[in-house]
Formats: sequence, C-alpha cells, structure tokens
Amino acid sequence: MSYLNVSSLCVDFLTENGSVKAVNDISFEMKKGETFGIIGESGSGKSVIGQAILRLLPSNAVVNGSISFGAEDLLSLDNKNMRQIRGREISLIPQNPAGSLNPLLKNKIQVAEVFEVMGVNKKEGIKSVLGMLKNLLMKEPARILENHPHELSGGMKQRFLAAMCLSYKPSLLIADEPTKGLDSFSKKGTLDLFRHMKGEHGNSILVITHDLDFALEICDRVAVMYAGQIVEVGPVTDILQIPSHPYTKALLNALPRNGLIPLHGHTPSRIDLPDGCLFYTRCNLRSDKCGTERPATKSIKGGVVRCHLY
Amino acid sequence: MTGKIFRRKDMTISILLLALLVVVAISYPLLALSDPNAIDLTNKNLAPSAEHPLGTDYLGRDILNRLAAGTTTSLSIAAGVSAISLFVGVLIGCISGYYGGIIDETLSRIIDIFLSFPGIVFALAIMGFLGGGVINLILALSVVHWAKYARLMRGQVLSIKENEYVLSAKIIGAGDFHIMRKHLIPNSVATVIILATIDIGHVLLSIAALNFLGIGLPADIPEWGAMLSAGKEFMRTSPYQTIFPGMAITMVVIIFSIIGEGLRDIFDPNDTGGEYL
Amino acid sequence: MPPLLRIKNLVKTFEDNKVLNGIDIDVKKGETLGLFGSSGSGKTTVGRCIAGLERSDSGSIFFKGKDLQAMSRREKKKVRPQIQMIFQHPEISLNPRMKAFDSLVEPLKIHGWDDKCSLENKVEELINLVGLRREHLARYPAHLSGGEIQRVVLARILSINPEFIVADEPTSMLDVSVQAQVLRIMEKIQQEKGVSYLLISHDIDVLRKVCHRIVFLKNGRISGVENA
Ligand SMILES: Nc1ncnc2c1ncn2[C@@H]1O[C@H](COP(=O)(O)OP(=O)(O)OP(=O)(O)O)[C@@H](O)[C@H]1O
Ligand SMILES: Nc1ncnc2c1ncn2[C@@H]1O[C@H](COP(=O)(O)OP(=O)(O)O)[C@@H](O)[C@H]1O
Ligand code: SF4
Ligand SMILES: [Mg+2]
Ligand SMILES: [Mg+2]
Repeated sequence: MSYLNVSSLCVDFLTENGSVKAVNDISFEMKKGETFGIIGESGSGKSVIGQAILRLLPSNAVVNGSISFGAEDLLSLDNKNMRQIRGREISLIPQNPAGSLNPLLKNKIQVAEVFEVMGVNKKEGIKSVLGMLKNLLMKEPARILENHPHELSGGMKQRFLAAMCLSYKPSLLIADEPTKGLDSFSKKGTLDLFRHMKGEHGNSILVITHDLDFALEICDRVAVMYAGQIVEVGPVTDILQIPSHPYTKALLNALPRNGLIPLHGHTPSRIDLPDGCLFYTRCNLRSDKCGTERPATKSIKGGVVRCHLY
Repeated sequence: MTGKIFRRKDMTISILLLALLVVVAISYPLLALSDPNAIDLTNKNLAPSAEHPLGTDYLGRDILNRLAAGTTTSLSIAAGVSAISLFVGVLIGCISGYYGGIIDETLSRIIDIFLSFPGIVFALAIMGFLGGGVINLILALSVVHWAKYARLMRGQVLSIKENEYVLSAKIIGAGDFHIMRKHLIPNSVATVIILATIDIGHVLLSIAALNFLGIGLPADIPEWGAMLSAGKEFMRTSPYQTIFPGMAITMVVIIFSIIGEGLRDIFDPNDTGGEYL
Repeated sequence: MPPLLRIKNLVKTFEDNKVLNGIDIDVKKGETLGLFGSSGSGKTTVGRCIAGLERSDSGSIFFKGKDLQAMSRREKKKVRPQIQMIFQHPEISLNPRMKAFDSLVEPLKIHGWDDKCSLENKVEELINLVGLRREHLARYPAHLSGGEIQRVVLARILSINPEFIVADEPTSMLDVSVQAQVLRIMEKIQQEKGVSYLLISHDIDVLRKVCHRIVFLKNGRISGVENA
C-alpha cells in the first residue's frame, strides 16, 4: 500500500492579475521507507507541493485533488488533527532557514520553545538536538546553541534547522532543498545523516531539490517537474543517466560539468497556460502536434513520462 | 485585506461599533442638541426614566446626553494620545535601533527612565506641573505612553536592520532617512500599531484614574472618565452615573483589544491562513 | 595597469574569532575572480568588507587606487554605488512590503531618474534582461519563487551600472538550468559593460566554468590561486 498518495493535485494562487497555476494536476505516490525526490526548475512548484501536504499554503491558495497519508485524507482533516500530524508525523525542513528563526532569540531558546510546544522536556530536547548537530558534522555544537541566528553562516543555519526538525523523529520528513547553500563537505554530512535516517529509522523522505547530484545519491525514485506539472517519474538512475523527457535532457546539459548550457527562452506564463505541451517553446524535439495538444502521462519502463515522443 | 478583516465576526462587530462611536463623536458637537452641562438641581440623581433614558447625575444633568457628548472628548483624547505617543515612540525607537552605538545607548537610557516611573503617578506629576485641561491631559498621557512604543519599535528595528534588503538599500546609496521610511518602519511598525490599538482602551482608563485622583479635567467638560469619578460619591444612592460611563469605557476597551488582536493576524507577513506550525 | 580592486593584508576579528587573517586579493577590470572556501571560512566577510558593510580591523581595500576605508563622506557617496552586492539569501534581499516593480525603481529614483515614462521602459528592459516577465513586476516577494526573486535582485543591482559586483553565492538557490542562465547573463553583462565580479561560491565546478581566476580561502588566509 502506498504511504503518501498525491493524486490530481492542483494548486492555484489567486492574485490581482489572475489565478496562477502553481501546481497543475500532479499525481505520485511514495512507499514506506522510500526516498522520493522532486527535482525541477525554480518556480516549477516543488515547494508548493510540500506546503500543500502540510497545509501550510497562504490563504490565497486554492487546492484541489487529494493527498492521503496512511489512512488519513490530509486535505479534509480538521485543524486540530492536522496540527497533531505536523511536526510529529510529518516534519518539514523549510527552504528558507533564515526566515524560520527568530533573530532575537538565542538558538538554544528557539529549540526549547519548539519542544515546549511539542510537549517534550526542554532539557531532553536540547540534548537530542545536540546529538543531531554532531550527526550533521557541525563543529562545536554547544557554541551554536549559545549563538544568535545571525552569527551563523548560511550553511550552519540550515543544518541547525535540520537538526531541530529531525530531532522529533517524524515518520515522514519533507526536506525542501536540504543541501542548498552547503559546501561539499557539509553536503556529505547531510547525505550521511539522510542515509542514517533512511537505514536506521526506516524514515520515508520526500526530498525537494534542484541538486541533481544529491538526488542521485539519496533518492530511490524521482519526479521531474516543469511549469507545475510532472514531466517524468522513474528510478533515479534511469532519469539522471538516460533521461526520456526533452526537459530532463536539457536540465542535465545545464550542469557545469556538462557545459553549463542554459535553456533558451522562458517558462510559460502560469496565468494563461498554452494549449499544447508546456515545454513546447523551448523544446528541440517538438512537432506540430506538441503545439496544439497537451500530452498526457504515459507509462514507460519503470515510470511515467508526459511527452508526445513516447 | 478587506476580505481578511470581515472574515472575523468579532472584528466586524467591533469595527461597526467603533464606526458608530466615531459618527456620534463627530456629529454630536455639530448637531448642538441640548446643553450637556445644563444643570437642573430639582431633578438630580434620578434613575433611568422615559425623560432621562439613563438617568441624571448629581447636578441633574442628563447622563445619556453627557455620555454622547463625552464620546467626542474621550475619543479625541485617546486618539490624540495614541497619535502623539506613536509618532514619538516610532521615531525614537527607529533611530535608536538603526543607529546603534552611543545614540542607541543614550536613547535607550532615556526610554528606560520614562518606563521606570509608574504611569499614573507620572501623569499626575505632569498634570500637577502643567495644570488641568484637555490639551495638558493629552500631553501628560503621551509622555507616559511613548516610551513603551519606542522600546518595542527599537526591538523590531534591531531584528530587521541586518536583513539583506536593508543592507542592499544601503549599498545602493539610500540615505538613512530613506531606509527608515521605506524599509525599517513599514516592516516593523505593525506590531507597535497593534499595541497602540489595544492601548487606546487603557488610555481611557488612565483618564478615569486621574480624575479619580482629583486631577484631570474640569467638571464641566463631559468626559467618560470624569463622569465616572465624579459619580463615585453617589455610588450607593444613585449608581447609574457611574455604571453607564463605566460600561462605555469597558466597551471601548474591549472594542480596541478585539481590533488589535485582529490586526495582529492580518498584519502577519507569514500569512498561513490562520493555521500555524 | 593597476587592478580595479586591491585588497591588502585584510584582518577581521569577530569577538575572539579571527575570521580573516591577512588577505591579499587583486581583481582586474573586466575580470571574474572566484572566491572558494568551505562554509564559515569567511567568504561572506570578505564580500561585506568590500561592500562597506563591515570595517576591517586592519588592512586596506583600494578601489581604483583609493582606499575605500579611508575616504571622506563626500567621496564615499560618489564611489560606493559603483560597488554592488548580491547576497547569499536572496529571499530576504527584497523588502517584503515592496512589489518587484518598486524594488527595481528604488535605486533608479535614488540616483535621480525621474522621468516616469522612460522609467517604466527601463524597468521592463531590466526585467527582460534577467528572463522574467511583466507579470512578475506586480508581485510581492512572498509571491515569487526563490529563483524569481534572485533574478529581480540581479536586475535591481544592474540598474545603476556598477563597475564591481560582489556576488555572494548568487546561484546557490537556483536550479541548474536557471543557474546556467544567470551566470551566462552575468557573463554577457561583463562583456558588454566591462564589470568585474567577485564570485563567491563553494561549488568549484561553477567557479572553474565561469571565473578567470579562483582564490582559495582557508583558515583566514589565501591558501592558493588557480588560473582558468
Ligand atoms: N502566494 C503565491 N501567490 C502567487 N503565486 C505564487 C505564490 N506562491 C508561489 N507562487 C508561484 O508558484 C510557482 C511555484 O512556486 P514554488 O515556490 O513552489 O517554486 P519552486 O519550484 O520551489 O522554486 P525554487 O526552486 O525557486 O524554490 C512560482 O511560479 C511562484 O511564482
Ligand atoms: N556578525 C558576526 N558576529 C560574530 N561572528 C560572525 C559574524 N558574521 C560572521 N561570523 C562568523 O565568521 C565566520 C565566517 O562567516 P562567513 O563569512 O559568513 O562564512 P562563509 O564563508 O560561509 O561566507 C563564521 O564562523 C561565522 O560564525
Ligand atoms: S511533447 Fe513535444 S514539445 Fe513537449 S516535450 Fe515532448 S517533444 Fe517536446
Ligand atoms: Mg522552492
Ligand atoms: Mg557565506
């Protein structure tokens, strides 16, 4: 049975200029213990999916479709039960570590506050965060707790926040860009920690990332997103080594070691979506059909792809 | 924004009540009905009746009439005190937090001194020095209130002044005044405004307290706090002249605290639609 | 020809933490110099000193031969805007209460652009330069994705034609295709306008691809230089 099942999820944001289709008909499922990655271009809607799962979207969002987690239907749960799930069952390491910390409080006090809300003894909470910080290969974890957030460099802030989220031992962890801003040394630390969580605790992890190398190392399967849609899902090695979708191919060519070749053109407006394939204007393999007819998802070996070529 | 305001029922009701009070406050002096100070000693200390819906006071003045007239005075005093102390508090707090160093130390010391006096005693002393009257009352209460806002504002500014948009503005060549006006104040004033809104009710209570202590407004100025304290000697025999002004003050205190709480939600920049992590 | 920017023996201490311990860096006109180092090695601190956000304990930073830290107020006012900075956390690099349009207009207005009509054209030109569209102009930062904000930040800085840009991990938030796009845009602007960059990054692949030279920062000192 699938553990997290997202089906036909659509998220629109109502703005002055019209409704922005941030997430457009997305379906995927995660098995227990699986590490599932969502990769894709900036603004493609990755973070919105994470926020939709935890119901943390701003009030101008309109959500359709369904998200089930175990036996619960997350979109129809009342607020009280949802709060029970947030943090304890599903935890989110947000994309913006700087904005998630109160600049006026010492890091130690932030930790204590969070544990107080969760109803956990403060001292024990701080101890487990210290352990996690060591796990994340931070030097001098005790000093970090005595500092204020602005005294930490970007990478340190990120790891501090990760340690805080991991220390409640959630069964599903959503990590939004866990390696963003980390240098290669710290990235290795994060990787080790994620492997540890996976192996030791059987955690299921939903990794939202644009770090293709990290995805390749940690994920079992990945979904590639473009302009609010999933264009391809499959085992990570297939996708990142022999990609099917033209967008995935272009993405790999943009890696510095593959030539740093940017995609030409723009992503389509998310307010007035084109009729045909959303990648049409930037695709090197397009045909006339692509301009008029939106491709549907098709199953191919080990996964699905959304392209007329298949 | 407007949608967010009226989604809250308590907020909607409070705003409507406040609007009503403001209409009364503005229109009453214009309408110039009967004189709220008209003394009628034959009809003093009356209970509510058809002729005097809320009764009369110890000089036989109509309580309803005086309450309505008092709306103008009470709300103007409260608004004046809030406006002055907010302006001074925000300005001083912002300067103190932004410049730091010796400027901050000096201003913070001054703020601390003002905060260390017990408010009412302080106001009492100032009134003793300046004398009674509406303007002096506004000044005295502003002197008492501004420091609280200054301290809060300073904390807010400290927490955002290292944000990269502020640094970026500095590097781009923006002057200090521009940075404060465009970046620091808009991003930190919300909390202070919320506090000031909740405080408006407290300002009315302070006026009442000052009048209780015998310093405040002359007896012929219709004002809720003054009415409340003037009626205190007749509490046993004729309680209406304290009950009704008391109710009016309580209502305004509640209205402003509901609006203040509502504003807190509305101003929240991490708008998560009312749900929190 | 003297270098555009010369850092000599820069030392910076935070409390008892000696972050920079005598650093020398030269950046020539039209050059992209990479600054590589692990997290916490002091890369950002170097950038902040150059941009005037931090005063060093000792050492000097010469821009066009003049010591930035020993200038009069008047001189500073003239010289400072020629050095701009893009930050490590672009998500707080834009005022949350200003629409993208206003953030782009702000530096133009500060530098005396008051013709409303050409202002709008200029903003549109800037936003196109970084691969965004008109519709983004009306949005607040909270309604832009991380990558979109980063590009607004770049456009905002380019609006006052700086000669030197400190880019503190400008693409560490971006996905690879937008990273390629932004770095190529930065390259193009360099070719057109001859700006110099100090590109701070911990991604050596990126630095090797776009920099003319890379300096390595370790334990508060320059531990090596690599020519591309
Ligand atoms: N509250 C909102 N109102 C309007 N549009 C929004 C809002 N939040 C997000 N969007 C839009 O939705 C799209 C997806 O945003 P999202 O933050 O999920 O991107 P992302 O894939 O995580 O990108 P990045 O890698 O840059 O973080 C973007 O086009 C963004 O502009
Ligand atoms: N304002 C500050 N106060 C105290 N320590 C600081 C401050 N800014 C940076 N540091 C410390 O200086 C070191 C270098 O920081 P930074 O330059 O941000 O590193 P990075 O190379 O990751 O950009 C870190 O140990 C950091 O904790
Ligand atoms: S459907 Fe056509 S345009 Fe779209 S990705 Fe496939 S080939 Fe390219
Ligand atoms: Mg994101
Ligand atoms: Mg840094």
